[in-house]
Amino acid sequence: MRSYDTLILNAVKEQRAGSPGAATARLAAAQTAFTSDIDVLNYALTLEHLEAAFYALGPNYQFGQDPFGNDIDAWLTAVGEHENAHVTTLTDVITQLGGEPVAAAQYDFGVTDAATFLATAATLENVGVAAYDGAGQFLTNPDLLTAAGSIVAVEARHAAYLNLLNGTIPFPAAFETPMTPDEVLAAAGGFIVSEG
Amino acid sequence: MNITERQQSYEAMLQRAVEQRLTSVNRRTLLRNGAILGGGALAFGTVGRAIAQGDSTPAASNAVEEAPFGGPVDVLNYALTLEHIESSFYRDGLAAIGAEGITGLGFQQGVFDYLTEIGAHEAAHVTTLTDVITQLGGTPVAEATYDFGYTDAAGFLAVALALEDTGVAAYGGAAQYLIESDDLLTAALTIHGVEARHASYLALLNAGNPFPEAFNAPLTPAEVLEIATPFIQQ
Repeated sequence: MRSYDTLILNAVKEQRAGSPGAATARLAAAQTAFTSDIDVLNYALTLEHLEAAFYALGPNYQFGQDPFGNDIDAWLTAVGEHENAHVTTLTDVITQLGGEPVAAAQYDFGVTDAATFLATAATLENVGVAAYDGAGQFLTNPDLLTAAGSIVAVEARHAAYLNLLNGTIPFPAAFETPMTPDEVLAAAGGFIVSEG
Repeated sequence: MNITERQQSYEAMLQRAVEQRLTSVNRRTLLRNGAILGGGALAFGTVGRAIAQGDSTPAASNAVEEAPFGGPVDVLNYALTLEHIESSFYRDGLAAIGAEGITGLGFQQGVFDYLTEIGAHEAAHVTTLTDVITQLGGTPVAEATYDFGYTDAAGFLAVALALEDTGVAAYGGAAQYLIESDDLLTAALTIHGVEARHASYLALLNAGNPFPEAFNAPLTPAEVLEIATPFIQQ
């Protein structure tokens, strides 16, 4: 299957042009089932690339202290290191499985200051959790499922903290709301401006 | 033993359980051929190779404990056991401590409100798991009686963090046993995420790291029950 990144990019282009076409149709089809574990992992990797690229922008801003007196800059650096680790590991696993890992794309996050950075960070983390929760059912190998679980738990920890920094409740509901790839596309696809 | 001694013994027990967990996880990782589970980027990183070589099977990776669950209902009852512990903990603990117990530690009223919300989530998890198990024809486990050993609000928050961290790791270790049911697996994931959010917040309340590692290590059912059983009185 073509890289998920390219699929998302092309679907975004079609939707912006107001004429859904082949990519949109294929993305819609993908939301009912991934064709392999590698597909699911590449979907995750697409989002991790996006997050890793985003957090690389963090040092451009100063964030001060959180409500508990912690240095936000330091915590955001840690979050970025996690996303980088997720990229590295997912890339390695996909390669070991004989797949072709998606590459990083080029992004435009529209961040203008620390506040917009934090708001976008919260969006990305919460969408990330929802994406993993929607895709987990499509993994067929139990060890990969466990490994994916070890990632989504960390994304949820990130999301809780970013919610807090944005003045919203870290745990807005008793149950997460999974998203389909289509919904994830709507929420995050707009940040992708060109493939890598 | 008096309350202080009991609290100290529970703290020691928690500490031992945590140390044992770390030791057992490392030992399993060393013993197992092709090291799959155990958390951490290195373990995850070898998953792909192991799968590609045909080494990865649930039987191989869980050689230490054969088939811990008989079926999905057992997995859900395992989750329900933990949710009962958490729900009871917050319900009774917050009632005993009160908002003043939390603000007395220097926190704002909003922290107590958030802890109350966490408790409401755990209660919702109990309700939903109980309903689903019943719908599946199973018998949901009932709430037990617990002794968490804390004597003050600070101790309450410390135990809360331990429970949430254990819950996250428990769901992380149990999800694979729901792989045959897309719906139950997805439902478990939607609870797992919330427990991780709780854990993140409780870590902050305990002046700790909300996300200490890039990969959240799972625990096996045996490891979880070793941690949780001392809390259960009957």
